[in-house]
Amino acid sequence: MATMTTLLPGEDVPSSQFPKSKKGTLTLGPGLRHVPPSTILATTAGSLQVDHKKSALWLEFENGRYQPAVGDLVIAQVHHTGSDHFFCSLTPHTPHALLGQLAFEGASKKTRPNLKSGDIVYGRITKASKWEDTELECINPSGKADGMGQLKEGMLFHVSHAFARRLMMGTDKSGHSKGAVVILEEMGEKIRFEVAVGRNGKVWINSSSVKETVMIGRLLTTADEEHWDVEQQKKAVKKALQDA
Amino acid sequence: MPLDTSTYSLAHLRVDGRRWNELRRVHGQISTQAAADGSSYFEMGNTKIICTIAGPQEQRRGGNSGQSHDAKVEVEIGIAGFSGVDRKRRGRNDKRIQEMQHAIASAFTHTLFTHLYPHSTITIHLHVLSQDGALLAACINAATLALIDAGIPMSDYTAACTTGSTASYASNDEAADPLLDLNSMEEQELPFLTLGTSGGDDQVSLLIMETRVQATRLEAMVSVGLDGCRQIRSLLDGIVRAHGKKVLEARVT
Amino acid sequence: MPREADPSTNEQAFLLSALRENIRLDGRALDAYRPISLSFGEDYGTADVRIGKTRVRATISADVVTPFVDRKFDGVFTISTELSPMASPAFEVGRQDQTEILLSRILEKTVRRSGALDTESLCIVAGQKCFHIRADIHVMDHDGNLVDASCLALIAALLHFRRPDVEIKGEEVTVFSVREREPVKLAMQHQPFCVTTSCYEEGTILLHDATLLEEQCREGDVLISMNKFGEICQIAKYGGAPMDGLSILTCTNTVLERVKIFDQLVKDRIAEDEKRRDVGGLIAELSAENDR
Repeated sequence: MATMTTLLPGEDVPSSQFPKSKKGTLTLGPGLRHVPPSTILATTAGSLQVDHKKSALWLEFENGRYQPAVGDLVIAQVHHTGSDHFFCSLTPHTPHALLGQLAFEGASKKTRPNLKSGDIVYGRITKASKWEDTELECINPSGKADGMGQLKEGMLFHVSHAFARRLMMGTDKSGHSKGAVVILEEMGEKIRFEVAVGRNGKVWINSSSVKETVMIGRLLTTADEEHWDVEQQKKAVKKALQDA
Repeated sequence: MPLDTSTYSLAHLRVDGRRWNELRRVHGQISTQAAADGSSYFEMGNTKIICTIAGPQEQRRGGNSGQSHDAKVEVEIGIAGFSGVDRKRRGRNDKRIQEMQHAIASAFTHTLFTHLYPHSTITIHLHVLSQDGALLAACINAATLALIDAGIPMSDYTAACTTGSTASYASNDEAADPLLDLNSMEEQELPFLTLGTSGGDDQVSLLIMETRVQATRLEAMVSVGLDGCRQIRSLLDGIVRAHGKKVLEARVT
Repeated sequence: MPREADPSTNEQAFLLSALRENIRLDGRALDAYRPISLSFGEDYGTADVRIGKTRVRATISADVVTPFVDRKFDGVFTISTELSPMASPAFEVGRQDQTEILLSRILEKTVRRSGALDTESLCIVAGQKCFHIRADIHVMDHDGNLVDASCLALIAALLHFRRPDVEIKGEEVTVFSVREREPVKLAMQHQPFCVTTSCYEEGTILLHDATLLEEQCREGDVLISMNKFGEICQIAKYGGAPMDGLSILTCTNTVLERVKIFDQLVKDRIAEDEKRRDVGGLIAELSAENDR
């Protein structure tokens, strides 16, 4: 991210920023809109991100609520149970997302998971459109759970959806965090805990002690709210570990 | 009409001739309204209340708003125009009444076994026929009797009464006596609180005080109130047992 | 009917198990408050209180009206509360919601019924003219503990407010605008503050200043309003889990400590604000007592 382009809604993406593509096609991500013949407009305020390899470009923005997109890993909360679906909420005060009762590893008509209202699950979005209900599943196409399913115990922390995205970016080849969040890595060297990050701005953390869970959760939420950079994060983690 | 409290210190007798720790006459009847699922009639002195219960019945409004499946307790209080000294119409949206409704509903949500009736509503209708102090307390006692009549399981009686203190907040006199079960004249003049107990010894489930009083005075008021609630509780118990006996005897013959 | 989204069972269970170890999710002690900020607006009588993420703004205004027939010597004082969807999607405009009713009732009992504002001082001509002091409470952001924040904002705004000065010559009443004469402070008799105590685990765990999540998980609450002289203005424990009679009494002691802190906070901020306004000692010069 050497040069960052910030765009306001309605601004054109400068054509100099377009990734060079062999096939001549571009992939547009969230926050951008194509106006034929060759203008690309920003529909929200954010910073432009370009991936030259995949010839994709998208906007990173922090405001607004989470919009479901296919393939996103999310943490959903079961609201009530229907005849063959669980009605889950991804974000409060929005229509429910459907989670099939058979969309779990090893689930059959007889052995379906018994989720109660208020339980939380880690799942992947399989269908997201303007006109239909969002759908989820907790199973891979190969039939494996792959870490998805009900999240038992632990604690849910709420962060902004942009921060959740940064947490999920993973590391590049040299081991640096792409999203510039190192809290989980730094903590993981010292204490053992389980973590699940949902794109809808929820982070689930479970560890053996309440104190540690609270500590990690608080570091994450304050890092999000106060926009800590990597150095601040490292310092805060060190301090938190000393105090504990 | 301001009440002359100065006479109290002379004879230690209150305007209606009671001593400080005496309740007024308490009278209660169960199953007074045949049409209701449960009903009662309750008097504390000149405060008279009819209570009817509807439910547990299916939730009225589209009830998928919350995750909780427990039964919901709703309270509706109707104060008759002729119940007070001056004829005054109180609207349904009177915040004071809505506050009372909320207090009664949340007090009973905790003592009733609401988890036994998923997706349902229990409605408590309280009709105030005559007011002479301790309105909230009498409403709670009447509701307890009616809920027992309706056969809804609960962990314990909720019994309530009021207590006051002879010293107004202005005077700082140390010899202030706590008073039990105030009538409306005393309520207008003295600081008082409504206390409701449920579930064993001295467990306060409801406490509402609206008048200014020295914090040091509170302890005496609460302890007298707890004692009063104990008396009310045994009176309620007597009413329920007498009624039960009557019902059983009617069946045998 | 919109309502606050319920927290997940994991959150509820974790919060309780943390409380059992005396840990709160934001690392506070059980009786600690989130950082409180109190600021005043450019105009007199606007106070903005933030307790953590909760934010409440109180505005006081005055106008001249005819007093009520049965209260000829008293001015009029009304408190109106508004919970708009700005604070939380669970609030709706125009619909009286349970939270709003309780909030306005508690403020009413704490401030109005306890006689915090001397309404007799608002009378201009008995039976004919008096001031109508109107307090508007706007909740801007809701993250728990609305009552304490609103009460603090209301008292601070009342102390900060100045009403126009009046002069009575026989039958004639002149109301001076702010430019003509320095407006006068309201006559406050005492400053009550409300402190909410939330209880968990059958009343064995008590905490102050609950966040929204903590409020959603609590079994019951006790709202106590006191002033720094140790007078209780109002107690409200609406049902909920039963509590020991004794622990309510001990509650009042911790509440008194907190109220004294609130009182000092408001006093300090008011003094700061007065100092800021009194540039070059102009106020002393404009005072009504000076010879003209």
